[in-house]
Amino acid sequence: MKKRVKTNIGSYIFLMPALIIYLSVIVFPVFYSLYISLFKWNGIGDMEFVGLNNYINLFVSDPIFITALKNNIIWIVLTLVVTMTIALALAVMLNKQFKGRTFFRGFFYFPCVIAPIAVSIIWRWIYNPSVGFINEFASLLGLDFSQSWLSDPKVSIYAVFVAALWQAVGQPMILFLAGLQGVSTEVLEAAVIDGANGRKKFFKITIPLMKETFVIVIATLIVAAMKVFDVVQGLTGGGPNNATQMLSTYMYSQTFTYNNVGIGTAISCIMVIIMMLVIVPYVSFTAKDD
Amino acid sequence: MQGKQKKIFNKTALYVILALLALVWIVPVFTLVVTALKSKQDFYSGIGLFQLPENIAWGNFINAFTKGRLFTYMKNDLIVSGFKVPLGILVEALAAYALTRLNIKHKTGIFIFFLIGMMLPMQAALVPINIIYSKLNLLNTYFGLFYVYIGFGISFGILILRGFMKGIPKDIDEAAYLDGCNKWQMFLHVILPIVKPAIATLFITDFLSTWNEYLLASVIINDNAMKTVPVGLMTFVGEHGTDYGYLCAGVLIAIIPVMIVYLFFQRYFVEGMAGAVKS
Repeated sequence: MKKRVKTNIGSYIFLMPALIIYLSVIVFPVFYSLYISLFKWNGIGDMEFVGLNNYINLFVSDPIFITALKNNIIWIVLTLVVTMTIALALAVMLNKQFKGRTFFRGFFYFPCVIAPIAVSIIWRWIYNPSVGFINEFASLLGLDFSQSWLSDPKVSIYAVFVAALWQAVGQPMILFLAGLQGVSTEVLEAAVIDGANGRKKFFKITIPLMKETFVIVIATLIVAAMKVFDVVQGLTGGGPNNATQMLSTYMYSQTFTYNNVGIGTAISCIMVIIMMLVIVPYVSFTAKDD
Repeated sequence: MQGKQKKIFNKTALYVILALLALVWIVPVFTLVVTALKSKQDFYSGIGLFQLPENIAWGNFINAFTKGRLFTYMKNDLIVSGFKVPLGILVEALAAYALTRLNIKHKTGIFIFFLIGMMLPMQAALVPINIIYSKLNLLNTYFGLFYVYIGFGISFGILILRGFMKGIPKDIDEAAYLDGCNKWQMFLHVILPIVKPAIATLFITDFLSTWNEYLLASVIINDNAMKTVPVGLMTFVGEHGTDYGYLCAGVLIAIIPVMIVYLFFQRYFVEGMAGAVKS
């Protein structure tokens, strides 16, 4: 009896390092943020308790916050429609048997390994209005236009999105490839015998069989869209005139540029709450097989 | 006959589409390389993007490496990754081992608790980490940086390693215990060798995400001598914002290490990631 208790404690020792680091880096700071978000504070002076006022002010009287929130929603929609479609199309093509398949898989995935900050610097140059690639290429084709991509508030968020798309499409592509490999060929062959054509086979059989993959891809894409920071920060820093402001960039500038630490932490807590709405169903789905 | 023709047509169409897409995909890298070869004078002379300069501006690369401090940034990043990756994996493996094979309560609950961290935005911990670090004098230190990196990597690492360890049959444990192994010996000599493929995948993905991380590093490090590559690159942009040849040379140098890692270990990404997800 006594021996058993002892072995139990020994087992918990294995868990300790991870638990201590996790609590100190993530759990405790998140609750600390929640606490700070109830104060008006510039990061140095005295903290003045304001209750939920930081939150109320953000929603009621801060148009930039609303823009940022909207931009995050636009970003989610764009990733779910554009990124996911391209990733799925690539995965379907790269799941076929042909020479050079491994090369193409590696090729389309490779932007994923480049630092998003480096990606943003590269794309800044591509979007350069006078000598950037896009406008130079247009003039090579005889088209005479010089669009300023990043400094035009109407198009800037889409310009940033394209850069992010180039980098990010590889990840869902890999997930889809894994999902496609899990679809049994027997089922598909049976469908062909039953007279299903290519398109029908894909929409009626392959896609429903990949339900789990879709759940994972959608959840990770939404989470990534909520978190998006580096590419935006590197390309526009939230500008021009806050047109590409995201919750993450707005939190960053409120906290570290304008020293509105209370407001900054309130924004980060709102991000956490929105994420939770996505995570809870996802985690319960992931842990279901336990 | 008709079926065969259709097959050939389909295959050709596939190659054409993929080749066109690949062409679009390569544009950023192409632009980066051709720009890096040009000096400031070349830009003043109005050279087109698609023209090569008369003299290739090797000076861009040398300057970026030395005056642009890229050497320092890369060294720092390598040190931080060098600590973060092995230590992180060790910590994650220990926890995954406890969560799959040891006699502890609430295994699923603890696992879910760890999992949540994967989705939390780093922003939510940013201000407190900054406050605590400035009190403990951990700002601008390697330890400060790799410690938070380990923290933010724990969720994903446990998810992957737990998945692999769950797949190992329990008979092995019995046999090992009968042979006189204790828990630690069993971890080191039985379980770790079996999950080697998972560790290899983690090692590489971890290295890349550490090497590329910007947000935390930008808050924890502001001393030029301690900056990692992404933070350093942003400083580099601030200092040489219009000298695009020089800038592109810097970016090119900065991404060469990850390109090499990727070329050598590609199969771990494409196959490894897929395997990790499936488990």
